[in-house]
Amino acid sequence: MEEQLSLLELVLGASFTVQLVMGILLAASMLSWYMIVQRFIYLRNAKEEAYDFEERFWSGIDLAQLYREGSEKTADGHAILGMESIFRAGFKEFSRLAQQSEMDSEAIVEGARRAMRVAMLREEERLERHLAFLASVGSTSPYIGLFGTVWGIMHSFRGLANATQATLATVAPGISEALVATAMGLFAAIPAVLAYNRFAAKVEVFSNRYDTFGDEFSSILYRQAYALRAKERKAG
Amino acid sequence: MNAESVYARPVVPRIILRPALATLALHALLLAALTMNFTSSEPKVIKARVVPKAINARLVSASELQPKPQPKPVQKPAPKKAAPKPVAKVPPKPAPKPAPKVAPKVEAKPEPKPEPKQEPRITDEELAAIARQDLARVISQEDEALEATATAEEMANSYAALIQQTVIGYWSRPPSARNGMEVELRLQLVPTGEIVSVQVVRSSGNAAFDRSAMNAVEKAGSFPELRNLPPDEFERTFRRFRLLFRPEDLRY
Repeated sequence: MEEQLSLLELVLGASFTVQLVMGILLAASMLSWYMIVQRFIYLRNAKEEAYDFEERFWSGIDLAQLYREGSEKTADGHAILGMESIFRAGFKEFSRLAQQSEMDSEAIVEGARRAMRVAMLREEERLERHLAFLASVGSTSPYIGLFGTVWGIMHSFRGLANATQATLATVAPGISEALVATAMGLFAAIPAVLAYNRFAAKVEVFSNRYDTFGDEFSSILYRQAYALRAKERKAG
Repeated sequence: MNAESVYARPVVPRIILRPALATLALHALLLAALTMNFTSSEPKVIKARVVPKAINARLVSASELQPKPQPKPVQKPAPKKAAPKPVAKVPPKPAPKPAPKVAPKVEAKPEPKPEPKQEPRITDEELAAIARQDLARVISQEDEALEATATAEEMANSYAALIQQTVIGYWSRPPSARNGMEVELRLQLVPTGEIVSVQVVRSSGNAAFDRSAMNAVEKAGSFPELRNLPPDEFERTFRRFRLLFRPEDLRY
């Protein structure tokens, strides 16, 4: 019953190269889906935490109190992510520099800003993790699939050359099995490209928000540093 | 400082389990859906539906390949009609050829059988011709009656039965035929009902048996009744279909 080719038979009956290509594509597809879901969850968490933190930050809470809360969270084994880690980096640097009386207010805020920038870069790096992989799956797996297909078709036409009586039925199964490779390539590539574009846009949004937050926070710090130094000058 | 190390460390609750599960579930689902679709779409193309399952002409227990819900109205009459069959068959038996008839096809068949009963001496060809005429007549009557209600499916079934009946009429099995042997042929028809090609799709392993099935189809030559079938129904069901020959009434 040559017509009742099941998908599975097609895959199992394929030549070694085509099977190898299919294996690579399957692995790529599984990995990219793993990363898609993982990134999705991570970005969702990051968004929620950013909202929560912004709410608390602008609720008028004392900054030292906020910092202490974060320290307790760290002690409990919670990871500090996103905006809060930027805040902590900046605030820590600010309090350390403010204790040194020889630093003027400009230098204090400059130091805090630098610390925040480093934290921000780390956060962005975290957000962008795996995105490069999605991009390369999206761009290369159609080619890998195409390679498998071309190879399989070459194979089945070579078989045709040896056959005395060439019918469509001689090559059709080979071509069909070869085309499975292209289908798999596309199947791996399409979600990867879509997810890459979506996640890259989200990461962009996040880094803009972090930037804005960093600016807002450093203006607060500047005000505090200036007030601190002015008080000291008056006292001294 | 320790601040640095906190930021450099990987995020503590690593997100692994959910993505992994989601990925596996998705691929498994997709594979299942694909394989099911792939195989189920194939038979339709090749009209496996028409494949007649073997029927024991003696006992007239018609078993159909596909569990189609549609045929029900047709199926019901079948068992009733089946009863006369055994009687019909008995007379031909003395003559070795007619007796071994196997009804590969569906249900409508039983109808013609009663006729041969009256004339046991009847030859193969006559029997087939009578069966054919009778069936054609019954079918044309039914067509009119069922026109309002009959689905295309039912029509196809009754024509399938006609084809089956005709082919059986011409089938003379070799002595080497055994119960349970199966040969599957692929037939290609043109809209006038003529057979343009016959191929063995699955051999029984017995060349003589295969040949007898081929001969039966070739002798039948054409099924002019199919001209009455609406063209789209013909294309869908009878342009290409399979015929399964399997004797079950043999003694061994």
